[in-house]
Amino acid sequence: MFAINVESLSKRYSDDWVIKDLSFEIERGEIFALLGVNGAGKTTILECIEGLRSYETGHIAINGTIGVQLQSSTLPPHITVTEAITLFSKWRKSPPDIHDTASLDLSSFRKKQYASLSVGQKRKLHLALSLIGDPDILFLDEPTAGIDVEGRIALHREIRKLRDSGKTIVMASHDMAEVESLCDRIAILREGHFAFMGAANDLTTELQQDKKIFIKANVDLHQLPCLHCRYIANFQDYQVFQTSHLSDALLELLDRAQKAHSLVLDVRIEHASLEQRFIDVSRDTH
Amino acid sequence: MNALLFGIWIQWKLDLRNRNNLLTYYAVPLLFFLFMGGIFSSILPDSKATLIQSMVVFGVSMGAFLGTPAPLVDVFTTEIKKAYIIGGIPLWSVVVNNTLSAFIHLSLMALIILLGAAFIFGATLPENPSTFFAAQSLFILASIGVGTVLGLYSPDHTKLTLLSQMVFLPSIMLGGIMFPASLLPSALQTVGNVFPATWGFIATTTNSLDFNGLYPLLICLFLSAITVAIRLYQHSRA
Repeated sequence: MFAINVESLSKRYSDDWVIKDLSFEIERGEIFALLGVNGAGKTTILECIEGLRSYETGHIAINGTIGVQLQSSTLPPHITVTEAITLFSKWRKSPPDIHDTASLDLSSFRKKQYASLSVGQKRKLHLALSLIGDPDILFLDEPTAGIDVEGRIALHREIRKLRDSGKTIVMASHDMAEVESLCDRIAILREGHFAFMGAANDLTTELQQDKKIFIKANVDLHQLPCLHCRYIANFQDYQVFQTSHLSDALLELLDRAQKAHSLVLDVRIEHASLEQRFIDVSRDTH
Repeated sequence: MNALLFGIWIQWKLDLRNRNNLLTYYAVPLLFFLFMGGIFSSILPDSKATLIQSMVVFGVSMGAFLGTPAPLVDVFTTEIKKAYIIGGIPLWSVVVNNTLSAFIHLSLMALIILLGAAFIFGATLPENPSTFFAAQSLFILASIGVGTVLGLYSPDHTKLTLLSQMVFLPSIMLGGIMFPASLLPSALQTVGNVFPATWGFIATTTNSLDFNGLYPLLICLFLSAITVAIRLYQHSRA
């Protein structure tokens, strides 16, 4: 059963099409992440689904009530945390006290005015506001930006708890570690369409096969074509090769050095990071 | 408490916490009243007959044109608007809350002037209090209507200040509260008739509910309400 179904969504600003004929479905109870470089269209997609932004073509179906934490949300500077929660609760006809969950820890700053809250406290408040009315689907745009490590861990725990309670969570994030640890599926946006969509594990599995060999030798080892690796560049004193067959590539390079009577001074292996993979996919440099 | 009433209560408190609103709703009008009241009542004893009305018109004009629009600019030109929409708070309620909160603040300020003028400067109290308060309330609402239009159409605080001053200064200079409007050239008298301050002063100094003095305020209120409704519709479609 889907929570959100998007068909052929297109959106433009002036003559610039930021979303082009995008279709996807988000299942109930999953945590789905939208990734992309700045300006890729993540927030635009979320705001189209949330009903905050109009779009040129397409159809969006939402199966359930929604709660939204915006990326750049703000409130009147002099409103207190308690007042904000009470005001929003009254309009949503929901009791105001149930959202002060232990992990969000709003009680420690509930009398403070919005303008005097830290970035992390504002994030927590907006998350609490998005939970008012116990929505089925939760949209979180950069939910942990600006939050300290302790707060981030607590917030991740809260997000997992929400998922376990059956809520669907759609989030946009730049934090790859966060996405990897929290999300069931991810979609990477590039130039208005999805460059990758699948389980976060798929991207991670791909990474296991993508390694770099840094080799420091006193002869050029990349003069001859390599069967199991690809020469990329020189980095400081190292020659850098990329491979998906580490042991074969390593043996080939060491054998080549031996035959050239070269001294191998150092060898380092580096796994491509999730961040790098994200950049590769989102910028099509792979 | 219902959501709308709670929103008015919150807005009333926010206005008190907001330095700009505190200045324009209370501090400046009351200081101006104390200062000018002292001067007027000592050098022009006849001015005591209209001291309350002129100071109320000044204070309400200042609060409505310079104070009331600011919270609306804060909401409608920032991400607060989005936060309210996604939180299920209707945009019309923001305008209603701001209007009623401003009405309460300006009515309180006017009451302080009325009592202060009578006790401190021996000003003449209105002969017919119910007529006076009815005319004053209509004037306050009409002025807040203009202030609300300014707040909803200003793209930022800088332009709001400019627009507000373009309404406030002629209201004070041409409204007949500093000196009789009849002393002005006829062209400026005509310009003065555009502003609610002129009609507010006439309506509050008339001891009976004279429709000729009230209908311009009713027209102003009606036109403001239509303009505000159109703007809210545009915001809801944006």
